[in-house]
Amino acid sequence: MSGLSTSIADLARTPLVVALGLILALLVLGELLSPGFASASQIMRLLIVASILGVVAAGQNLVILGGREGIDLSVGGVVSLSAVIAGNMMQGSDAGIIPAILACLATGAFFGLLNGLGVTLLRIPPLIMTLGMLGVLQGLLVVVRSGIPSGLAAPGLARFVTQPFLFGVPGMIWLWGAIGVLMALLLRRTLFGYRVYAIGSNETAARMAGVPADLIRVSLFVFSGMFAAVAGFCIIGYSGSSFSNVGAQYMLASIIAVVLGGTPLSGGKGGYTGTMAGAVLLILLQSILTTLNIEEAGRQFAFGATLLVLMLFYGRGKALRG
Amino acid sequence: MPRLRLEGVCKRYGATVALGRGDLSLMPGEVHVLMGSNGSGKSTLSKIIAGSVRPDEGVIECDGSIVTIPSPRAARDLGIAVFYQELSLAAHRSVVENICLPGLGHARGLFRNRAEMTAAAEPFIEPFESVLGEGFGLDVPVGRLRADQRQLVEIMKTLAARPDILIFDEPTSALDRAQVECFMAVLRKLKADGKSIIFISHRMDEIFEIGDRVTIIRDGETVRTSVLADTTMEEILRTMTGEEATGPAAPAVSAAVKTPQRPTVKLKVSNLVAPGVNNVSFEVAAGEILGFGGLHGQGQSAALRALFGAAQSRSGDIEVGTTRLTGNSPRASIRNGLAYVSGDRARDGVIEGRSILENTVPIYALKNHLFVASPRSLGAKAQQALEQLQTKYQTLFHPINSLSGGNQQKVVVSRWLMAPPEVMLLDDPTKGIDIASKAELFRVLRELAAAGMAILLYSSEDAELLENSDRVLVFNNGRTVRELVGDERTRYHLYHAAYEAA
Repeated sequence: MSGLSTSIADLARTPLVVALGLILALLVLGELLSPGFASASQIMRLLIVASILGVVAAGQNLVILGGREGIDLSVGGVVSLSAVIAGNMMQGSDAGIIPAILACLATGAFFGLLNGLGVTLLRIPPLIMTLGMLGVLQGLLVVVRSGIPSGLAAPGLARFVTQPFLFGVPGMIWLWGAIGVLMALLLRRTLFGYRVYAIGSNETAARMAGVPADLIRVSLFVFSGMFAAVAGFCIIGYSGSSFSNVGAQYMLASIIAVVLGGTPLSGGKGGYTGTMAGAVLLILLQSILTTLNIEEAGRQFAFGATLLVLMLFYGRGKALRG
Repeated sequence: MPRLRLEGVCKRYGATVALGRGDLSLMPGEVHVLMGSNGSGKSTLSKIIAGSVRPDEGVIECDGSIVTIPSPRAARDLGIAVFYQELSLAAHRSVVENICLPGLGHARGLFRNRAEMTAAAEPFIEPFESVLGEGFGLDVPVGRLRADQRQLVEIMKTLAARPDILIFDEPTSALDRAQVECFMAVLRKLKADGKSIIFISHRMDEIFEIGDRVTIIRDGETVRTSVLADTTMEEILRTMTGEEATGPAAPAVSAAVKTPQRPTVKLKVSNLVAPGVNNVSFEVAAGEILGFGGLHGQGQSAALRALFGAAQSRSGDIEVGTTRLTGNSPRASIRNGLAYVSGDRARDGVIEGRSILENTVPIYALKNHLFVASPRSLGAKAQQALEQLQTKYQTLFHPINSLSGGNQQKVVVSRWLMAPPEVMLLDDPTKGIDIASKAELFRVLRELAAAGMAILLYSSEDAELLENSDRVLVFNNGRTVRELVGDERTRYHLYHAAYEAA
């Protein structure tokens, strides 16, 4: 009997279950505050926004899982740069989609590689390395755009992101779902996943067991850069053209989504399913704040405060485990 | 009247008795040697005097009055200074600053005068002037000095506290002969000035050269104090080990049956040099368990880690079977057929918070170049390896932390059994695990050896080492000084070799 009751109690403490519960509660709250908030079309719109954040958070999730204070603060910069590249290469033509996505992926991979090499070969703490990289990317953006808003999404991309694609659900959400499945398989059903958790949990022991820790860590940063690039590419489809520093909000939001989803900043445990719930939860929260006519400043405040409160509960990982 | 007297001092950690009964009387103007086998309580006794360990029972008298030494600071106030084996220097500060460090706490005022500090340090550097070697300078950061120079600075720092009682725990391990001579001269001077010195060393020649009396600790009790001039090395070793030199050898349990023809060499090591390891060469044959023995920290563990590719640097020739080992990383070593089990499983072994399955499969996956992790097929193989060691667990998907220490270590060993290596390096593998698990582990190791694996074993427990090794290499200060075979595998011979002049 104790088995059943403890397993229910354990379940209730699982971050994923907590997040799902909160999502439901927020939907109900939103509907009460503003009837129509929880309508199907509105939920779909929320999910599209969440999916873009979710893609960025996938990379962030991997970097954080790898431990040793892994964090990628440059994701926002990569998102913005990728959006600029995508918009300018497509210029409103479907023919530009394939070259644009390839260019974005290459860009993301390149900056991710630089981050990874800095962190492993040069032993620069991830916080400093990726913060520096963010600065570099922001500088680069100013140079590339020279102040002129530019680029236009291909109509095909815009349809993919915003219009129903299959069973009334937009392609973007299908893509996110596919990424969710692939991430789960990668983390749970491949040796790569085992090794990511191993270096995140105890890097010394992992090395002693033959895990190429540096190689794995570099690949995590490359993944992060590429996921951010994909998100930047999709943003163009959502908003039509790239506007100034479109990616900036994703740095903090992607970290919050990961932590909300039950991956502690110390790494080594957690997973992407929770992060997906975390992303939805965060977008819902943002939407409710908008419904309440709270300005951008207030929303940023709420985001920051959310992260700090989360740290209080599960962010300290190792310290709490004892 | 003794300068320092300890009576019935006792220290327990839970059920473990680190020091059962420590009696010691230290006279002014004497060098008092402490001797004891591994884990006998020697370092606990000196830590109690140094104020870093508080005794549970017993009386400490300093100059005739009863005192307590609750902290290193209290020890310093009583005029006690300690030379720490694992040096206590500030690497980025200069030689002068390090030497003056003990005095800085007492000094008044906010600012230090450089010239004054140099002047204060100089008398302590001067006795070693002729043996300081290249690269030594008053303003050189200690981190840039060689190991022997750092050890000299630690000695100078100990002297600079101007103590009445000095504790030297292996102060000469990194020094060359000329440096040791200078140090001995300094000790004689201190003795003549009426200072009291507690001296711990593994060099018997030094002990007889400088020591006045010796106190021998066995199994946590000080069993005898003798005047060194009236005793012999043999007598000391007999007291220390409780064994006779010529008596029957300790029953080495089921030593491997020696095959008549020349056995195949599985591991050949020539001139291995690494941090803490000084030119070590040996061979291990298939089916053999070679023990690494001696006093703790003489390079046994460092040699095993270096072989496995876990040391910062390494030179020398290592052949596993017929292939020469290249690449100084655990990964390269594993691919070439080496395995390593550390006694510090929390640091080197257990991937905390992850499942038993994930903790068991990494080596197998590496050797078989797996990418897809199928819990079913991996699980079946993992289960087999875990059962070989009779590991107790609920399911493979429970976190490894849910197991007892002994079972966690079995998981770590099972990791290697899933894809058996040619040579197994065991670095104190049974540290902190229960007796049943220990027995289980050694039963399996015997089987593995019988099946042709070569095993290197270091154990911090002498009995375990002697019982399970076919041969024992005795380490002293990073070198192998002797090989014990057959009936020589006794505690007596082990310590005889361990204390022999390097």
